Amino acid sequence: MTPPDTDTQAEPKEQSQMSSAGGSPAEQADEAPNLAEMGVREGAGHAINVKGLHAYYGNTHAVKGIDITFPANEVTAIIGPSGCGKSTMVRCINRMHEEIPGARAEGSVSLDDLDIYGSGIDVTSVRRMIGMVFQKPNPFPTMSIFDNVAAGLRLTGTKSDNLRERVHKSLRAVGLWGEVKSRLNEPGIGLSGGQQQRLCIARTVAVEPEVILMDEPCSALDPIATLRVEELIDELKSRYTIVIVTHNMQQAARVADSTVFMLDGEVVEHAPTNDIFTHPKDERTERYVTGKFG
Amino acid sequence: MKETRHQFREDLKELERQVLGGLDLVVSQLDRAQESVTYQDIELAGMVVADDDRIDGRYLEVHQGILSLLARQAPVAGDLRIVAALLHVIRCIERMGDQCVNIAKLVPLSGYESPKDKQILDSIERMGQLARSQVTQAKEALGGRNVELAQDLVRQDVEINRLNREIFKRAVEIGDDIDMREWGMFMILVARCLERIGDNTVDIAEQVVFVVTGLFREMADAASPAETARTS
Amino acid sequence: MSDIGIAAISPARRRKDRLMRGMLIGGTVIALIPLVLIIYYLLLKGLGSLTGSFFTSDPTGSFFGPPGGIRSAIFGTLEIVALASLISIPIGIGVALYLTEYGNESTFANVVRYFVDVMTGVPSIVFGLFIYIVLVLSGIGGSFTGWKGSIAISLLMLPIVVRSAEVVLLLVPGALREAALALGAPRWRVVTRVVLPTALPGLITGSLLAIARGMGETAPLLFTVATANALTFNLGSQMNTLPTQIFQDITSPRNAIVSRAWGAALTLVAIILILNLIARAIARRSRLA
Repeated sequence: MTPPDTDTQAEPKEQSQMSSAGGSPAEQADEAPNLAEMGVREGAGHAINVKGLHAYYGNTHAVKGIDITFPANEVTAIIGPSGCGKSTMVRCINRMHEEIPGARAEGSVSLDDLDIYGSGIDVTSVRRMIGMVFQKPNPFPTMSIFDNVAAGLRLTGTKSDNLRERVHKSLRAVGLWGEVKSRLNEPGIGLSGGQQQRLCIARTVAVEPEVILMDEPCSALDPIATLRVEELIDELKSRYTIVIVTHNMQQAARVADSTVFMLDGEVVEHAPTNDIFTHPKDERTERYVTGKFG
Repeated sequence: MKETRHQFREDLKELERQVLGGLDLVVSQLDRAQESVTYQDIELAGMVVADDDRIDGRYLEVHQGILSLLARQAPVAGDLRIVAALLHVIRCIERMGDQCVNIAKLVPLSGYESPKDKQILDSIERMGQLARSQVTQAKEALGGRNVELAQDLVRQDVEINRLNREIFKRAVEIGDDIDMREWGMFMILVARCLERIGDNTVDIAEQVVFVVTGLFREMADAASPAETARTS
Repeated sequence: MSDIGIAAISPARRRKDRLMRGMLIGGTVIALIPLVLIIYYLLLKGLGSLTGSFFTSDPTGSFFGPPGGIRSAIFGTLEIVALASLISIPIGIGVALYLTEYGNESTFANVVRYFVDVMTGVPSIVFGLFIYIVLVLSGIGGSFTGWKGSIAISLLMLPIVVRSAEVVLLLVPGALREAALALGAPRWRVVTRVVLPTALPGLITGSLLAIARGMGETAPLLFTVATANALTFNLGSQMNTLPTQIFQDITSPRNAIVSRAWGAALTLVAIILILNLIARAIARRSRLA
């Protein structure tokens, strides 16, 4: 195995995925989309650009024209009262919104220069590049811990010579390795809530996406588990761009580099987290953040 | 229906009331200290010294209240700024109280029978009035979140600093008179205390601007003419 | 402390309570009586016939002499229902998958659901007649054959499989489908690798219940398979089945043959009972239904 480079530049001819420090040629999946050709920049982090995004559930206009950039290798939090459209907006980023019957989205969402709503784009490869962690931990009940982490690779038909290595690496990345290494064949749902959620994160990370979306990942967890997941988010951001939807403002304050406040389907304010929580510019942000309405 | 975080808002308002009340205490202490200097009233001076306990007590109460609020309620944005400001202001109040005590302690020392210089006495009285008006204006600015009033305090402080320098010069002038010399030096010290009180009100003014705008700007005073702006 | 204010139950309420309880228990008992009687009679009349040769010999068909056993009937039933299951279960699960994964609330899906519901109510004899007219009278592939009976039975089983499979598939949490989709899996893989494995115990249960139902139907078999005496594994010929055997034997003047009918009935009920028990055991261990 070749010694790891810290600044990995992708080999120009071969198919490559964004390699983090320590990536080796043996770990490249054979069926990964050719990102360079598609307009996704090699090497360092990847930003998401949203322009003029509108989303509908039938006739209900849930997201009303949003322009945001989610910077590479940063954590951006999205806060706002229930029903403001934050989850809907995030689901438009990995095109999960359209899986709901009657739902549709308009506008453009780009991963670097690649418009993921472009014609001819394969939805499944978009989702391989933009992973998602859900509110309630949802490990596959019929699969073991190992199989759960490997599920992403198997479900996408990714051939991998070193599946075991990748699974172990993912488990290590989320800090679960020590707790589960002796029981990889036990059912995934036998773990505690916090462990299950980290298992789901490991499953997402095993596919090696560029961006990780998190929809209220800690709402179903106890405070200690929540803090562990937040630590994990902090570690992960050096390799991924992270967008986290949360209704817990303290969490946004702890975890995010910048914060977006949404109200009624629109973005009210988007600023560094410190600014939002010490001197927000918009009156509505101030009122929401100080708890004058919720 | 109660608004959200009703108890929190009540607690915050109460803390602010206590701080503003502390400024009232300072005014009353200042008045009495001023009077005791003008009339050489040693008894009154003694009361000023004793009553400083009330200001110290107020400081401890507010400090404890703020810690409790921070721990329990995690204030952010505007609420956070006012809490930080209150902590700062109550310290200024405590210091102003100490300056009043310093003034009062100088009274018995400055000599009962020594002759006094009218010019200096007038200037001291003028300084005292200015200081008093600065404190009341600081209270109004803070309570009303009034940035203009706050910025105006700097202007008044310029005047107080000028008077301080005047008294110093005059005291030097009368220094040749052995009887008045010692009294003169004590008056310099009194002037200094009053000037410090003025500086504290300028600090309070800076906090008012911070609460309203979110920016912390050090305000120009006679000591440092350049205005440096720092964001919080 | 009589001031607490919690009143004791009044005697009137107690009476009403007891009356209701009595009526409900009474109703249950009345409903159970036929069931108990059936089992009692089955055991009474049929237990005696269950000898070793009962299961190892075929009916002789002769009016005089030993009547024989029901071996060919048992095998015939098993063969025909096996083929019917092979047809109806995959198709049924397929339809259910279409309804839950792809069709959802579309008009076409709702129409399909409606027709499936209608099919559950169709009397089994109608299926038999349908196959009789379409396949037997027309002479396609021979006249009375085992496989035509299988088709009739599969038509009967189909709506049961679809209905129960749809229920089980709907019970698979949407969160699992979401998780699989979000990983970048194409929908068909989501179905085969996540939805089906999770629903499997429930699907098996539903299928077993459909099989149990299919085993007991007489009418379709009469018109499509007719009957035979010899044991055969050729589904292209006429075969013997338990329901038809019972049907024939019960009207016989010979007591021995009537006893055989009871024995066959008991066997049939026993097989169905066992299938039901297996289905229950699987359902209990499953995490869904």
